[in-house]
Formats: sequence, structure tokens, C-alpha cells
Amino acid sequence: MARTGNLSILASAQEGVPEEDARILRGLRAGIESAYEDLLERFQQPVYGVVLRLLGSSSDAGDVVQDVFVKVFRNVHSFREQSSLRTWIYRIAVNEAHNHRRWAFRHCRNEVSLEAERDEDRQRFDPPADPSMSPYRQALDSETRVLIEQALTRINPTFRTAVVLRDIENLSYEEIAEILQISLGTVKSRILRGREALRRELAQRVNPDFAQAFT
Amino acid sequence: MTCFSAKRKTSAYVDGRLRPAERAQLTAHYEECQTCSAYLHEVRSLVSGLHQLEPPGLPLLLSTRLRVIASRECASVLNSQGSRLMHAWNRWKLELDELMRALTIPATGGLISSIILFACLAVSITQTARGVAYEVPVMMEDHTDANLIPVDMRSSVVLTISLDDKGHIQDYSIRDGANSYMGNTARLASNSISLPQFPTVLTMAQPITGDIRISLTPVVFRP
Repeated sequence: MARTGNLSILASAQEGVPEEDARILRGLRAGIESAYEDLLERFQQPVYGVVLRLLGSSSDAGDVVQDVFVKVFRNVHSFREQSSLRTWIYRIAVNEAHNHRRWAFRHCRNEVSLEAERDEDRQRFDPPADPSMSPYRQALDSETRVLIEQALTRINPTFRTAVVLRDIENLSYEEIAEILQISLGTVKSRILRGREALRRELAQRVNPDFAQAFT
Repeated sequence: MTCFSAKRKTSAYVDGRLRPAERAQLTAHYEECQTCSAYLHEVRSLVSGLHQLEPPGLPLLLSTRLRVIASRECASVLNSQGSRLMHAWNRWKLELDELMRALTIPATGGLISSIILFACLAVSITQTARGVAYEVPVMMEDHTDANLIPVDMRSSVVLTISLDDKGHIQDYSIRDGANSYMGNTARLASNSISLPQFPTVLTMAQPITGDIRISLTPVVFRP
């Protein structure tokens, strides 16, 4: 297995894999430390963002992100480069998050979460305040973000995944189809239903004119 | 188009995933129907709000843990490769590969350009070698007294040669101060004096057409 990896060091990058991805892959297969650092530098933040929004808990997200990168590092030799590195890593992240949620549903549904932790999680999305904005605007933006984040956690996980990948991670329909292993029509349907569910969830909270809060 | 149908297509409309005809139909519907127009506005606001969400901050502890995992996995790959020498060899190969990749396109382009250029030059040089044929003028015995250039050559002499478009000498004249002499190429031919040609060096270039002037100045050495 390792020998195969070594021999493939000089293998040219296949079509469809960006040169930067191919460089990182060659480095990972050869055991070059800088390649591991580059991969983490590039993907740890977006992977954590996706997993956190799919699970809604920072502690769970941390555990899952570690599992994701262990899988990436250990399976890099078997990655056939038929999709981009980003798509492959996102696919692992989404699958791991879904597996963790199923496991948590079976094993932890009787557990009661601590309120303090929930409050901490609620604050985790708050970015650093922009000093150029007025305090009123900052408060409004912060409240809007918290509302959206909270609404996201309340919609169906299947639709939430599609919405997170599309509207937060800015992935194309084709990339989402590849990550979730579903057809383009299904992607379109899940995004439609996810947005509609999110809109209803927000409408319930900021009725009567919730749209004003986002403009 | 019904409002139900318009609502189902709003999401794809916002993402620009509709065909032009379908999009135009939906745009017309939004202009007519205030309810659907308001719904479109809500979906757009929602998508815009989602786009503006900041990425959550990565916990420092998680970042450290990931680096530890990376370091451990990297060490595992190195161990599976065998000796340190083998790892150094693989690393050197990888770095050489990275270096060569950056040079691949310019080097290939330069090589191809050089091949094309030298191929063109090789053809033209071969043709030039065939085309040039200088001969040493030989005087016939019965014309040994022929004075082909009746000038004194005591002062500066200007030789003017007229060429045709193939580089052949058509005419020549010699001017020696106030005196001038118009040459006769037919006379040279009758004395078996072959005239030089002025072909081009490259086949793709054009020969010089017109006059060539050569100034000859006698040099006197005093003992």
C-alpha cells in the first residue's frame, strides 16, 4: 500500500483536480509535513463551520472534525481524484456529521443538556465586532445572525445540509450533488424545501414582517 | 403561470438555475403578482442573510489537536516508507517534481519554438548553398587586351551595380571623378566573365532590388 503511494508521487495530476489540490495530495502521500499543514490551513475552518452548523454543538463538532481529518489522512492513498479535494473532504465531513447525529440520537436522547453549554453554543457564532459600525447596527446584525443560526438548527437536517452547503459554503448544485451523492433534481428540491422551512421558522419568530430584519 | 408553480420555482430563480424562457415567464409573473413578488423578496433576503453569516471561530484547542493528529499521521506515513534514506529520496523526487512542474510549460514552449525555427533555417541554408555559384572570371586568349574598365583608378572610384528582383546584375557603371563609364554586361559575357549573383540568405526574405554602390579608394604606400 505504502509502496503504491510512493510510486504515485510523481504521477501527474489528473484532469479535474486543481494543481494546488494535486500538490497537497502528492505531499500527503509522500509524508511531507508542509502538505499536512497546508491541508489543515485550507480546510480546518470550512470543515468545522459545516460540521458545527449540521450538529449545532461545538463540542460534538470538535470531535467530528478530528475524525474527519483522521479519515482524510488515512484514506488519501485511496482517493482516486475523480472529484476535487474539497468535494471529497466535504463528503467525509457531511457523512461523519450524519453518523454522529444518528449515534447521538440513539445514545444521548435521554440526556439533558446543560443550559450553560447551550448559551455558550449560542454565542459561538458571534464574529468580532466591526468598529466602523454603529452599536445599534452591530446589535441588529448580531441579533439577525443569531436568529438565522437558531432557525437553522430547527429545520430538518437533510434540508439543513443542502442549505448550509449552498447558501453558507457557496457550493454549486453540481458540487452538492457530488457531496451528498444525489441527483441534481434532488439537490434543487432540498434547497427549495430547506429555504422554505427556514423562512417559516424565521417568520414565526419575527412576525409580522420578518423580511425587514434582513434588508 | 400559477402562484403555486411560481413559488416552487422561486428558489431556482434566485440561484439563476432556470432556462431563459422560464425565467422570463417567472419575471413577468412577479411583476403582475404582488404576493409572489413579496415572497421572492423574502427568499432573496433570507439567502442574503445566510451569505452574510460569518464562519464560526475555530477553537484553539481543536486547532492544536488537529496539528497533533497531522503530525502523528505524517510520522505513520514516513514509517511505512521504510528507511530515512528512502524518505529523503522520495522527498527529493517530490521537490524536483514541483520544481520541474513550474518550468514545464515555458521549457516545452521554448523547445518547440526552437525546433520550428531551426527547421526553417535548415531549409533556407540548404537552398542558399545550392543557389550560390561564384566563378573566377577567365579571360579568353583573343581578348587579353580588352580593357573592361577604362578608368585610371587614381582617385576614389564609385562602382554602381543595378540588380533585378532575382539578385542578378543587369547593369553596372563606374565613375572616376568627372569621368564615368557605363559597363556592358554582354561584353563581359563574351569574355566569359561570369557575374556574381546577390541571392538572399534566407528563402523567406526578398532579394535587394535596385542599385548597389561600392566606393573604392586607392591606397598609396610611400617607401
